[in-house]
Amino acid sequence: MTTSDDTQGFVERPVFSVRDLNVYYGSNLALRGINLDIRPRRITAIIGPSGCGKSTLLRCFNRMNELIPGARVEGQVLYHGEDIYAPGVDPVVVRRHIGMVFQRPNPFPKSIYDNVAFGARINGYKGDMDELVERSLRRAALWDEVKNKLKKSALDLSGGQQQRLCIARAIAVEPDVILMDEPASALDPIATTRIEDLMQELKEDYSIVIVTHNMQQAARISDETAFLYTEVDETTSARWGILVEFGETAQIFTRPKDKRTEDYVSGRFG
Amino acid sequence: MRESFHRQLEILDQDVVRLGALVERSTELATNALIEGNKELARRVREGDDDIDRLFLDIEKRALAMLAQQAPVARDLRLIVAILRVVTDLERAGDLAFNIAELVEVEDFRASTIKPVRSLVADLGRTATRLLGMAIDAWTAKDETLASALAQEDDRLDDLHAELLGRLVELKGEDALGPAIRLAMIGRYFERIGDHAVNLGERVRYFVTGDEEHLG
Repeated sequence: MTTSDDTQGFVERPVFSVRDLNVYYGSNLALRGINLDIRPRRITAIIGPSGCGKSTLLRCFNRMNELIPGARVEGQVLYHGEDIYAPGVDPVVVRRHIGMVFQRPNPFPKSIYDNVAFGARINGYKGDMDELVERSLRRAALWDEVKNKLKKSALDLSGGQQQRLCIARAIAVEPDVILMDEPASALDPIATTRIEDLMQELKEDYSIVIVTHNMQQAARISDETAFLYTEVDETTSARWGILVEFGETAQIFTRPKDKRTEDYVSGRFG
Repeated sequence: MRESFHRQLEILDQDVVRLGALVERSTELATNALIEGNKELARRVREGDDDIDRLFLDIEKRALAMLAQQAPVARDLRLIVAILRVVTDLERAGDLAFNIAELVEVEDFRASTIKPVRSLVADLGRTATRLLGMAIDAWTAKDETLASALAQEDDRLDDLHAELLGRLVELKGEDALGPAIRLAMIGRYFERIGDHAVNLGERVRYFVTGDEEHLG
């Protein structure tokens, strides 16, 4: 594996440090030997062909894999230096710091207001709820479109608006990291552009990790890119994902160091 | 997945090689026209420049369309960026051959007054043509080693150019002044053709290594 050089000369503490990570589903190895650092207040894109383990890796960052029966993790995922898989760590607390936005917008069948307030209420938020809802909706670039219908059902919103509502809901609990699993793949081009613009604004305050099938999207929006690829065992036909290359997005898309990255991003396979 | 785009890109690159061959031929003809004092040959160089310009514009247009429509990355991106630079160098080298041909048409460089520098001028022209040929070979094969060898050959061309200027200053007789000035210009044009050839080599190195230093 090759990594980007730190030419800045200063040491910036990563949000996540993944060390020798293996992920299994039952007895099947899904990801092997992943090592990478996620830097703060940047957008890190995870790209790779279908089935290479992109979403699996993303779900490791907030222990979402545990919701899948038989999933098991080896190695370490350090969040600000603390292993989130260490005994005694409560996954619910982890997920409070590390929010997630999914491929299909999944608002609750409640009002717009209640969707945004939901997490804060569970967490026993003591501040001004109206203010929190407004701030979160503004931050998600949705306020102007919904301010006069906060009590209306979230399900009446368009797909793009619903996705921005899910982002508002994620940031209302004031997380540190936002994980996004193909957040725009179900949206039209205009709604996609709005989400991409929003991500650029959000990275001022949050670290964002995004899985995307759309390589041009990764090239447009991310600061760093991780390329995952499927390795196949010839004798058993077993397949698992490995990290082939991780570096500055501009480098990955102009002069990738690994031939497999070169072939994948230029559409020579995959 | 992107087969048709990659095929288009291959054809584009072949056209760059074709443009290179036209410019190399033009430089060679201009050199021969100069050595032989052949105004007919010089006229052919001037007329051939239209073909060079047309092909240059066509390649540039197609490369820009690919940038806009195909969003190329990695080696594809580097190839298109390199092509856009290379065709500009080739087109400029073609213009310089054109400028040399123009001077051949108005001046007879076989006059006895400039006899002392004639073989030097011929050497300069042949060296520039060879350098351009080497650069086009390096581009065709995307051969970084060949590209790196160009700088050395260019030093020889620069030496020849400096020597020519020195010798022109020493020419005797009032009749020599006009031809000497024109030969100084021609020497400069050949030297510039060599620089464009060196640039071509740099673009080959950029394409192969991805190092932006070779775009400058």
